[in-house]
Amino acid sequence: MREAGDNEIFSIKNRLLRLKRDSNRWSLIALFVVLLIALPILTIIFELFEGPGESWIHIVKNLLGQYISNSVYLLIVCSLLVLLFGVTTSWLVARYEFPFRKQLEWLLILPLAIPSYIVAYAYAGAFDYGGSLELIQRFFGIEFTRIDIMNRFGLAFVLSISLFPYVYVSTRAFFLNQANNLLEASRLLGVGEFRTFFKLILPLARPAIIAGMILVLMEVLNDYGAAQYFGVNTFTTGIFRSWFSLEEPETAIYLSALLLVLVFALILFEKWQRRKVQYSNESTNSERIYRKQTSKRKQFVIFCIVITPVLFGFLIPLAQLIYWAVLTYSSVFDATFVILSLQTFGIAFLTATVTVIFATLLIFSAKWNRIGFIKNLSRLGVLGYAIPGAVIAIGIMIPTLALDRWLMGLITSLSGNTTGFIIHGTLFALVYAYAVRFLAVAYNPIESTTLKVSNAIPDASKTLGVGNFKTFFKIEYPLIKTGMLSAFILVFVDVLKELPLTLILKPFQVNTLAVRAFEYASDERVMEAAIPSLFIIFTAAVPVIFLNKLLVSK
Amino acid sequence: MMKNIVLMVVALILFSCNNTTKKDQETQTAGEVNIYTHRHYESDQELFKLFEEQSGIKVNVINASADELIQKMSLEGTKSPADVLITVDAGRLHRAKTSDLLQSISSKILDSIIPSHLKDTENHWFALTKRARVIAYARDRVNPEDLSTFEALTDEKWQNKLLIRSSGNIYNQSLLASIIANQGEVFAKEWVAGIVKNMARTPRGNDRDQVKAVAAGEGDLAIVNTYYIGLMENSSNPEEVQVTKSIGLFFPNQETTGTHINVSGAGVAKYAPNKENAIKFIEFLVSEEAQSVFALSNYEYPVNENVEVSQTLKNWGDFKEDKINLSLLGENNKKAVILFDEGGWR
Repeated sequence: MREAGDNEIFSIKNRLLRLKRDSNRWSLIALFVVLLIALPILTIIFELFEGPGESWIHIVKNLLGQYISNSVYLLIVCSLLVLLFGVTTSWLVARYEFPFRKQLEWLLILPLAIPSYIVAYAYAGAFDYGGSLELIQRFFGIEFTRIDIMNRFGLAFVLSISLFPYVYVSTRAFFLNQANNLLEASRLLGVGEFRTFFKLILPLARPAIIAGMILVLMEVLNDYGAAQYFGVNTFTTGIFRSWFSLEEPETAIYLSALLLVLVFALILFEKWQRRKVQYSNESTNSERIYRKQTSKRKQFVIFCIVITPVLFGFLIPLAQLIYWAVLTYSSVFDATFVILSLQTFGIAFLTATVTVIFATLLIFSAKWNRIGFIKNLSRLGVLGYAIPGAVIAIGIMIPTLALDRWLMGLITSLSGNTTGFIIHGTLFALVYAYAVRFLAVAYNPIESTTLKVSNAIPDASKTLGVGNFKTFFKIEYPLIKTGMLSAFILVFVDVLKELPLTLILKPFQVNTLAVRAFEYASDERVMEAAIPSLFIIFTAAVPVIFLNKLLVSK
Repeated sequence: MMKNIVLMVVALILFSCNNTTKKDQETQTAGEVNIYTHRHYESDQELFKLFEEQSGIKVNVINASADELIQKMSLEGTKSPADVLITVDAGRLHRAKTSDLLQSISSKILDSIIPSHLKDTENHWFALTKRARVIAYARDRVNPEDLSTFEALTDEKWQNKLLIRSSGNIYNQSLLASIIANQGEVFAKEWVAGIVKNMARTPRGNDRDQVKAVAAGEGDLAIVNTYYIGLMENSSNPEEVQVTKSIGLFFPNQETTGTHINVSGAGVAKYAPNKENAIKFIEFLVSEEAQSVFALSNYEYPVNENVEVSQTLKNWGDFKEDKINLSLLGENNKKAVILFDEGGWR
């Protein structure tokens, strides 16, 4: 027989009372940020209840199998490749001394600077009939052997080689800051280098690796340009097909919602797996990693391994783009590119700052609030990255336009004047949209460094009566600064390349380099797209190199 | 940290400067016109500038794909700033019309210049330029006398010889829509099956890639858009120019319906805030002056018959075009996509 009191504890009244007791202003802030960021996503989920359009049966019958099998194939193959490229390089760079290490450290981030659809075009161009490979072979008098890259594996390779830096950046941050004590302990116990890596370092680096990997997989899922060009039907090409070719936005939204479920399942699964292990590292002030000196021959081998992904992810596409740029220089280049670059730089900088602030606010307000479900809710904010930009744009436009209509109505009733849109079609709406889309990019590196900061010091500080805010700036901020900087770089570079959102939401006067590149590429003038693409790379390279210095030289 | 803040302030100032200069310009001119366009060629930029100079009307442009622009317009509703919608195919214009985003306009200039099959029956949109979908064949392996129509490409003799891009492409969708309109759905379904059977490889790449594959011997025939052949013949890449020398162009269906064409065109937005300027703008685009810019720099066929085509196009010769009303392409577009999916045309 149940005690009367039992019932009482779980009565709605008591629950509400507890909720009131546990809530603090951080709960409200967390809730506010989550709502702001999740609003477009919720809009899309809400649309889901309207059900798919009439072509849904047609899609299930003729296409869905293909979408699922191709998307799952890409997820698996890309995971493996990215793990291989990203973890190997970050470990070698962090652990060993070898020639050109300092240059390679930032070169390894640069593949991110080329939009993946441009990498796809560059590879297709290089391996095409009459492409660079054939020209080179012809030059040496070798018979032309064509490598067919325009297939499922080719797509997985291109996406992995251009996205692996996400894993590299997050994993390297862990190795640089956290691995030293572990390595020393392991060495003292007489464990070999190889075993230490696989038995100790790799399992402990898991949150960092996963953080990068989730970004890669979300980006893989939402790639449209490369998949479409290579003729591989994925969920995202399906979303575009049902939206534009079948003229059913509701079916497209239904498909994106399915995609969201898939991503959310991935994230929850990872969380559930991680729950068994506690990752808090007690020694937050651990020293920088000690770099191992090895023999000349070994150094050469390491150099070769590390340069390979740089070669395939950056130098080869870059060379192809430069070749095209030389061919098309006279007809494409003009002085407006300089202004365009500055404008793009400004937008990316602003967005990266806003997004990093949002992400940090979200992570810490969720941490400081005491209500369990708000903590979990904060995860909702990262979903934006998995949704194709064009769909996010719709998710943004529905609520901002509603707000605009309300504001316009208000102004008309107050002053009698009619005005145009106030938020929609301004820089504000664009930056908001970017923040929604790229929150995950900022969230993961910051979260993974935050996880490694032990709670002891901030807790001590708070016990001594120092407030949350001050504690953050005095103690936590210096400890997670590397994570925040990584987040900044990643968002910055992502904004430089962003396309569909920019196209739909940009104000009349604003233009970006990516838009210029797209104008050519979408018209099958891939060669002409080379010059704006090169400008994107250079614009991205500046902060990447600068911030990498900050990251490493702390 | 300080550095960051300084940089941010600089960025912000940069933006605000930009905005004010734009606004200054606007106040000095005779109003403005807001263009939502899928076309993004240098020739268009040139024409926008020319229009600004001649009329004093400021041209504001948003570039995106037609689908995204249509979606944007319909969400913006009555307050949409869009005056003119420009797309690169008739199907999208028809969709904009059926979504109630365009308005009927009456203009004597447009009526006199544009032939009736190249505009909407209710004057919601007007074609600006034409492109033909043709067959590119390998000169050394194919006798052009063996070619006749698109319909005949399903013949067994072309097994493993045919190259064509994916069915996601609007030009393929329009081609099939025209076949549905001309010959009916049952025939169209068989045609899709026949083409898929004859494909040399699963569809991938763009139109240029299909032509390159013919030159390299992966197949003998490619179905492509004349516009891209024009770009290739005048490409800055010598390899591409070389490729076009080994292929010939065949305009199919000359004895029957005429070669399938598609158009890029423009319509005035239903809630256009600057309707008069919008009409002036479209009238300008079909004027002889503007049409010759289209014709000479962009390898498209002008809709204004007084304008001569470029040398590249002249070399291909005259052809008879399919004169079905282009609205039908839009009406049959969805059916076409479903037939492609059912027939396994990727």
